[in-house]
Amino acid sequence: MNIAAWLILLLPLFSAVVIGLGAFRSRKVSAAISVGAVVGSFLLTLLLISASGELRTSVTWLEFEGLQIDIGLQIDTLSKLMLCIVTGIGGLIYIFSLGYMKEDMDFSRYFAFLSLFVFSMIGIVLADNFVMMFIFWELVGISSYLLIGFWFDKSSAADAAKKAFLTNRVGDFGFLIGILMVWAALGSVGFADLSNALSGETAAVTGLAGFLIFCGAMGKSAQFPLHVWLPDAMEGPTPVSALIHAATMVAAGVYMLCRVFFLIDGTWAMEAIAWIGGLTSLMAALMAVQQDDIKRILAYSTLSQLGYMVMAVGLGSPDAAMFHLSTHASFKALLFLGAGSVIVALHHEQDIWKMGGLRERMPRTYWTFFIGTMALCGVPLFSGFFSKEAIIDVALQSNLLLFFVAVFVALLTTFYMTRLFIVAFMGEPRSAQAKRAKESPAVMTVPLLVLAVPSVLAGYYNAHAPNPLVLCASLVVLVFGILVANSVYSGAKADPLPARFVWLAKAMRGRFWFDEMYQWLIDRVQENLAKLAEAIDRRVIAGLMVRGTHGTTELVGRVLRLAQTGNLQTYAFWFAIGMAALLVFTLS
Amino acid sequence: MDWLLIIVLLPLLAAAAIGFVPGSQLRTIRGITLGASVLALLCALIAFCSFKVGGGLQFETKWAWVESLGLHFHLAADGINIGIILMGAIVAFAAACCADDITHRMKEFHILLNLMIGGILGAFASMDLFFFYFFHELALVPTFIMIGVWGRGANRNYATYKITLYLSLGALLALIGLIGVYVQTGAESFSIPDLIAKVRETPIDEAAQQWIFPLLMFGFGILVSLWPFHTWAPLGYGAAPTATAMLHAGVLKKFGLYGLIRVAIPMAPAGAQNWLGVLAWLALANLLYCGLVAVRQKDLNQLIGNSSVAHMGFIFLGIASLNVIGLTGAVLVMIAHGLLAALAFGLSGHLYRQTGSLDMSRMGGLLRQMPLAGTALLMALLAGCGLPGFANFAGEVTIFFAAWLAGLKTITVIAAWSALVIGGLYMMRAIRNILHGPRGDDWAKAGDVNPLIATALGLLLAALMVFGFAPGLLTKSIESEVTKIVRLAKPAADASEAQATEVAVR
Amino acid sequence: MEPLLNHYLLVSGALFAIGLLGVIVRRNLLIIYMSLELMLNAANVALVAMSRFNGNLDGQVMVFFIITVAAAEVSVGLALIVALYRKRQTADVEDLATMKL
Repeated sequence: MNIAAWLILLLPLFSAVVIGLGAFRSRKVSAAISVGAVVGSFLLTLLLISASGELRTSVTWLEFEGLQIDIGLQIDTLSKLMLCIVTGIGGLIYIFSLGYMKEDMDFSRYFAFLSLFVFSMIGIVLADNFVMMFIFWELVGISSYLLIGFWFDKSSAADAAKKAFLTNRVGDFGFLIGILMVWAALGSVGFADLSNALSGETAAVTGLAGFLIFCGAMGKSAQFPLHVWLPDAMEGPTPVSALIHAATMVAAGVYMLCRVFFLIDGTWAMEAIAWIGGLTSLMAALMAVQQDDIKRILAYSTLSQLGYMVMAVGLGSPDAAMFHLSTHASFKALLFLGAGSVIVALHHEQDIWKMGGLRERMPRTYWTFFIGTMALCGVPLFSGFFSKEAIIDVALQSNLLLFFVAVFVALLTTFYMTRLFIVAFMGEPRSAQAKRAKESPAVMTVPLLVLAVPSVLAGYYNAHAPNPLVLCASLVVLVFGILVANSVYSGAKADPLPARFVWLAKAMRGRFWFDEMYQWLIDRVQENLAKLAEAIDRRVIAGLMVRGTHGTTELVGRVLRLAQTGNLQTYAFWFAIGMAALLVFTLS
Repeated sequence: MDWLLIIVLLPLLAAAAIGFVPGSQLRTIRGITLGASVLALLCALIAFCSFKVGGGLQFETKWAWVESLGLHFHLAADGINIGIILMGAIVAFAAACCADDITHRMKEFHILLNLMIGGILGAFASMDLFFFYFFHELALVPTFIMIGVWGRGANRNYATYKITLYLSLGALLALIGLIGVYVQTGAESFSIPDLIAKVRETPIDEAAQQWIFPLLMFGFGILVSLWPFHTWAPLGYGAAPTATAMLHAGVLKKFGLYGLIRVAIPMAPAGAQNWLGVLAWLALANLLYCGLVAVRQKDLNQLIGNSSVAHMGFIFLGIASLNVIGLTGAVLVMIAHGLLAALAFGLSGHLYRQTGSLDMSRMGGLLRQMPLAGTALLMALLAGCGLPGFANFAGEVTIFFAAWLAGLKTITVIAAWSALVIGGLYMMRAIRNILHGPRGDDWAKAGDVNPLIATALGLLLAALMVFGFAPGLLTKSIESEVTKIVRLAKPAADASEAQATEVAVR
Repeated sequence: MEPLLNHYLLVSGALFAIGLLGVIVRRNLLIIYMSLELMLNAANVALVAMSRFNGNLDGQVMVFFIITVAAAEVSVGLALIVALYRKRQTADVEDLATMKL
């Protein structure tokens, strides 16, 4: 069993290394190795799930007196669930990519990076201590950087990758300080040790440490205020967006919060987390209402749903969060892959106002996207319904204000998804490419069909009788949202909202100008600090101290030189004076 | 087996041998250098693999020289320097491979290069204060000459004078300190183990320690570009030929840090207690300040130079925390950074040869143009900002823990910001400007690395990754030695610290 | 009145001062040289006076040495001055300041 756990982690790494070292010359071999690795991991995961019970195994990485850092694997219910999601959905996305990236000249490099990413992600899932998790946290960050900037010849992609990495780094900084604080307070970095240590005392770990650890999750899961990288990350290939920015990487933050829930529970960090989650979900939903790029709408939708999950953790229910995480992974991946299918069919067109009329032309994509939309909006009996319910229920019980926020966000979600679906899929084709669209090949549609299944059914494994008030509110919001969106957008040629709500629509379109604000902040603070440092370096240290020393030495030399007149009599004179002074001195 | 003697003598003999070869026989000269460095590397590898952890001094060579003064030619390896010697040998090989961009007066250059390599390896292998200093000077003087004669860029004369004067000043201060140590211990011997044994029984007079330690700290500090005595480094590396930059930034610079750990702290522990607080703040200045300056750089070599100075801040911070975790982390970062600096300068040397300039704003899209070099540069720059998987991360994270443990909380927080965010910022910018984006037309002719350089750089990368995945290979041997030093430095505090960690670990 | 030692030393001092002044102030090389000789002879006077008043011959022996050395030095010095004059066509010490930094 131990070997199975290690293999799950190492197979994708092995595949990345092999492709990197040589197999990249052959597309077929690269594809085979990487898909094989992830499928292998998936099968081994199923094996571990069937062999129920917990499992822990580790290898010492660094060991000192008082600090032990292992590379250890922890298999329990939480990690088994997450592993399933990562390897299962990951595997489907790999297969989809075989079709999507067929034309690309860097095919093998893509699969190598994908394998690296899955390796890193599995590392986070299986980590049994903070430092290992941090290591793989960073590795996921770099894999995501490599994948977002996959088409690095394009300036926008390279910039987006840089932005993602740096924003994540800010979160990682908080994470690291949080780890240090926890270690100082409790003496260990292993989750099992920490949980044992805490069972005796309450809130030995300060809220600050908990909040700093949440900073890491803020970065990875793109919570406000570190959310700015996610929409730009859509520069990467669409399957990458599906894998990383829908199903796995962004969920890593939520996973981590659930993993270390025992540390943050009961401290003031919980409130902060809940509010940040709520705020993110609201803001992102508002921004999604006015985006025209299909991937961006989905990206903001992801942000919003992540906000839900984070809010659930903050309100004290990691179970609800994980539940929504698992359902969201499947239907969001489905939606992204569906979008990918449409983008490819329309020759890389991403503007929804140039799509439309896809029902007859791309039936499988159409209907699976429809299922995904319904799941996301929380239509009863679809998976999203149950998981959203759970979260809104928790909100109702803990914090009334957040309950209203959650319900409002559900309304917005329904609104913008209906808008998306109506404009991009229904009605008449709005452009020539849309008219010529054809259904994507099987290698791309089969994963869509496969993902549609958990989008419908995944809710049932954790379903329970819904709270009547919550049920009412969700249904009202759902119906209202669909009706309003339908009336506004059905048959529309262009978006009517900017004309009606000029100011608000501009704000939404401009993503509330966060990017601009951050850029301004960076320019003012960071660049000025750097300029100051450079100025000190050049003027004070190099100028004053170094050249100053040089100048002073030279000055002294010049002054002393004046005594050497070359004139014999001057010398004789000083000689006499000196002698006289010496005599006076010795004889007195 | 006298491995260290062989390792130190090979380059020196090679230098002598090249002296006899006529200046026109370019291939012979290069062959001798490469051969010597490969053999030295093999010996270093064998020595490293056969090193027994916790076995005290190994591979000893001890010849008496001037008995009346207590001078011996004493080479030995213990946990601390075996890793550094291996790193030095690897970097020396890489530098020898990358020295093929020197075309005029090759004979003189290679003689100097071999002298430098021999000096470096000897300095780290020495267990006698006199030869410790002697080998360092033997390695340093060729550096000045190499930068002066074979340097590049408009600034090179200024850079040469600056680096010469600065480093000579640092070496002078350190020399005074070392002589002070010799006189004050009254041990009649320059041998480091003897001195430590003497100091353990009768520590140096407290008042004397208070001036010996700062002399050593600042003397060695200047040699390692401690803030504010750091401005020679970026300039010097910008002007230096590739092989020199690799060797100096990679290995020779670490001499000062090694001196602090090996000599200053064990001999003057009371002085250390007072001055290490100052060192910690200066280390922070290195990290933060030089990180910020690095953000503003347009020239790749200056960027790497400033980043190099910033990394020294890490090592100083580890030393300043004065606990086992910190000192081990410090040595680990020394080794990791040595490999990294060599890799980075080797790559920038290649870039310079292909494109004629190191102005990053004029580069772009080079990852397509030179995939091997580009990928190596990508990995090097990422390792530089502390990416796990490379040895630098292991050392850096260790130092964070150590500094936090030592109570330097504010410093650790700011240091973490500098390393993670600011470090990430300039590295990412460098990658974005050099490797990504559309390719400028100037670089149409830029080619990838030739097999020799590719081997050298690949070896450096491999070493970085091996030690990144399994830092335990290094830390086990380092830790046992470092524990002795920490116990020497904090005998009274030792008991209470052991109690404290016990309580924390539960 | 009997001449005391002091009187002789005073004369010696005066001679020395005049000689020193001559070295410092006068511009012609030969005059400087003569002043130098004057200083030497001032020392001679002091020594002879000391010898007479102390009653032993040590001072007078030293005077013999000084006279001999002075003679040798004068011959060498004058040769140098003549050579210098031939080269530079001047014996003015102000014109001979080529050792200026």
